[in-house]
Amino acid sequence: MKNRWSAFLIILSIIGPGFITANAGNDAGGVTTYSVVGAQYGYSMLWGLFAIGIGLAVIQEMNARMAVVTGKGLADLIREKYGVKLAFFAMAVLLIANVGVCIGDFAGIAASLELFHLSKYMTIPIITFMIPFILFKGSYSTAEKVFLGLTLTFISYVITAFLVKPHWGGVFTSVVKPNAKFTKDYALTLIGMVGTTITPYMQFYLQSSIVDKGITLKNYKYEQLDVYLGTFWGILTALFITVCTAETLFKFGIKINTAQDAALALKPLAGDYSFLLFAVGLFGASLLACFVIPLSTSYAICEAFGFESGIDNKLKDAPVFFGLLLFIIILSGLIVLIPGISLIKTILATQQLAGVLSPVILIFMLNLINDKELMGEHTNNKLQNLIARATVILIILLTIAAFIGNFI
Amino acid sequence: MVMNSFYLSRILGNKIYSSDHQVIGKIKDFAVNNDVKNPKVIGVKVKTDDGIKFLDWNNVNVTKEKGQYVLICSAIKDIDVSNIMLLGNHVLDRQIIDVNGRKVVRVNDIRLANLSSGLFVIAVDIGTEGILRRLGLAKPLRRIGFDISSKLMLWNDVQTTFASNDIQLSKSYNKLSILHPSDLADIIEDFDTNTGMIIFSSLDNAKAADVLEEMEEKAQVNILNNMSPDKVADILEEMPADEVADILDGLSEHKAEELLNNMEKEDAEEVRELMEYEDETVGSIMNKEFIAFDVNITAQQTIERLRELKPDNEVAYYIYIVDENDKLQGVVSLRDLVVSSPENKLREIMDTNVLKLFDTESINDSIELSVKYGLLSIPVVDEEDKLCGIVIISDLVDEVFLPTWRRKFKKVS
Repeated sequence: MKNRWSAFLIILSIIGPGFITANAGNDAGGVTTYSVVGAQYGYSMLWGLFAIGIGLAVIQEMNARMAVVTGKGLADLIREKYGVKLAFFAMAVLLIANVGVCIGDFAGIAASLELFHLSKYMTIPIITFMIPFILFKGSYSTAEKVFLGLTLTFISYVITAFLVKPHWGGVFTSVVKPNAKFTKDYALTLIGMVGTTITPYMQFYLQSSIVDKGITLKNYKYEQLDVYLGTFWGILTALFITVCTAETLFKFGIKINTAQDAALALKPLAGDYSFLLFAVGLFGASLLACFVIPLSTSYAICEAFGFESGIDNKLKDAPVFFGLLLFIIILSGLIVLIPGISLIKTILATQQLAGVLSPVILIFMLNLINDKELMGEHTNNKLQNLIARATVILIILLTIAAFIGNFI
Repeated sequence: MVMNSFYLSRILGNKIYSSDHQVIGKIKDFAVNNDVKNPKVIGVKVKTDDGIKFLDWNNVNVTKEKGQYVLICSAIKDIDVSNIMLLGNHVLDRQIIDVNGRKVVRVNDIRLANLSSGLFVIAVDIGTEGILRRLGLAKPLRRIGFDISSKLMLWNDVQTTFASNDIQLSKSYNKLSILHPSDLADIIEDFDTNTGMIIFSSLDNAKAADVLEEMEEKAQVNILNNMSPDKVADILEEMPADEVADILDGLSEHKAEELLNNMEKEDAEEVRELMEYEDETVGSIMNKEFIAFDVNITAQQTIERLRELKPDNEVAYYIYIVDENDKLQGVVSLRDLVVSSPENKLREIMDTNVLKLFDTESINDSIELSVKYGLLSIPVVDEEDKLCGIVIISDLVDEVFLPTWRRKFKKVS
């Protein structure tokens, strides 16, 4: 009995990084992409979600294993094994992908506040100023808890999914029999779904969080549990969001062009207040991401090149760190302020960009995780290598397909 | 012999030729002997068509032709590869300790000097210019007028941290002995847990105890859980009992018991006593090491005795006078002791109006006392008025002032 209790306590103290990372996947990009998937393609993309889910679980576990065995972050490992040139390349890819996702999240903030008729020209400058202010003032930990709380409204998707009474049998058979029409847009949306699920910044963030927690090899099986459960929860949320929009928007042929359209998916649950529910959740998730992404990007880049990092530094002691932070935040704010851009289209495009770039990071990871000198006896087994490599190949093929589709 | 110096990055990956200008292979790495002061290159790792070879550096000549470095090897002879360190694999791009700056830095490049007696490692490049050079941007940027300052650190001021089963680091870590324990603690915490353990294990017990005291609780627990109980017990015995009590409080009961059982009986007893005190009481933060003398000895004798005892800094501020039952009688500051005539007896010099605390009082009371009277340490007595410990101001700062200040200024960790 004592053993079970202590095991339970160990689980409680370890659970966190996997779950938090999965929740981070439900940012503006995630919610919007899954909504579009359901609204535009019904259930014909669920097979992709399922396949990506398996890939994600394996990849997250790889990050966790690297964190526990080496005790180092991903940027650190890339720099130590491949040297400056390749580390520079990897960081450049990460920076581009992350700025992209950050832009998407700023767009998410603008879109959610527009539902309350607040113009983006007013909200975005305020937010762009507020984020560095909160970070430097040091009240980030409280702010983080607030935003995390706001994201709980996404439970409404779970409730709605059951309220709309889909034909669950049909939902699950479409995983095996997609009935998909393979067009360029289909490929692009699929890439977007990959990009929003296997976001590069999540890989770095997850590994760093686990390193920070100091989890040892002894307790690793609990961390594995956290990672797998987190992935499962993330994919499940995506499924529910898709079901909601499929049953409400797809059935009536409503395409999603604005956040308003996406909010309509929650009408069965909240009626005219659906937009309120949607807006609050979208706002919280996007704002949280707007803190996490610039922070984790700056940390990763400074880690790779040996620049001083850390929020409690003075500005002049860590110029590169703060410089990067401000650069990412301000650039994202500026881009979203461009008059006339479709916020929804921006969000979707940035997820596609992240998707296209993710194989680069994954290939680095595959190489690292199979390095015996680094991982000892904890390299990938055949199945893990198979799934991870298959995921990378799938993404690359989709990218090529979408690219070619441009010219057909 | 030609004397030149160059960066490692400029020749890694170059081809190496034989005397008749045939390509032998590509340079993959350099092997140095394990001389801590100035590592000497003893071999070069070359990838040839027949696989990896470690060529003897004695047969290699380095010249500069048209701005490029050319390496010529006159004879292909392998060297013994046991007990060597590889510069590219083990030092380049890794984190090392800057002993002068007392922090952790990353190696961007390595500077080698070709002297008549051999090729030596003289410095590491830890600055931005090193990164730009690796990217091939340093020369172009300088040509268009950008002035990038270089940041080189002499190998003497550097401590590598790589260790593996194949490499024996015998005297490697003695450079760390000049660092202050709190700096060492910061450095160890900056590294990943594995490397941190390696560094910590290389310290002698006394140093290790000092460093352990300065570490954050999470890091302390990590170290203790990863070391053998015997080694831990040895280290703990070098620490003051109240520090040990604090650390053991942070461990599981089972682990704490295990460690206590491994310690010397007397020391373990002291620690156990301290662990019995509730949190926030004076007893829980007091130091059991104090100096107590009898009233009848002279100032001269006291000073001589102190010379023999060699007490720690913080313990020596005040000397407490007790009677034969250990009851507190008075206090003499070190200043008064030194200033008085040597023949004066302690009973004449001492201040009988002693401000003291009971071991069960709350820590808040000790703060009031310390601040109001400007005391560097306050004696603690039990209910029988027997002297059982002292509270030192630096412990108060650690326990109370620092956490309060941190909370007030909302530091994000």
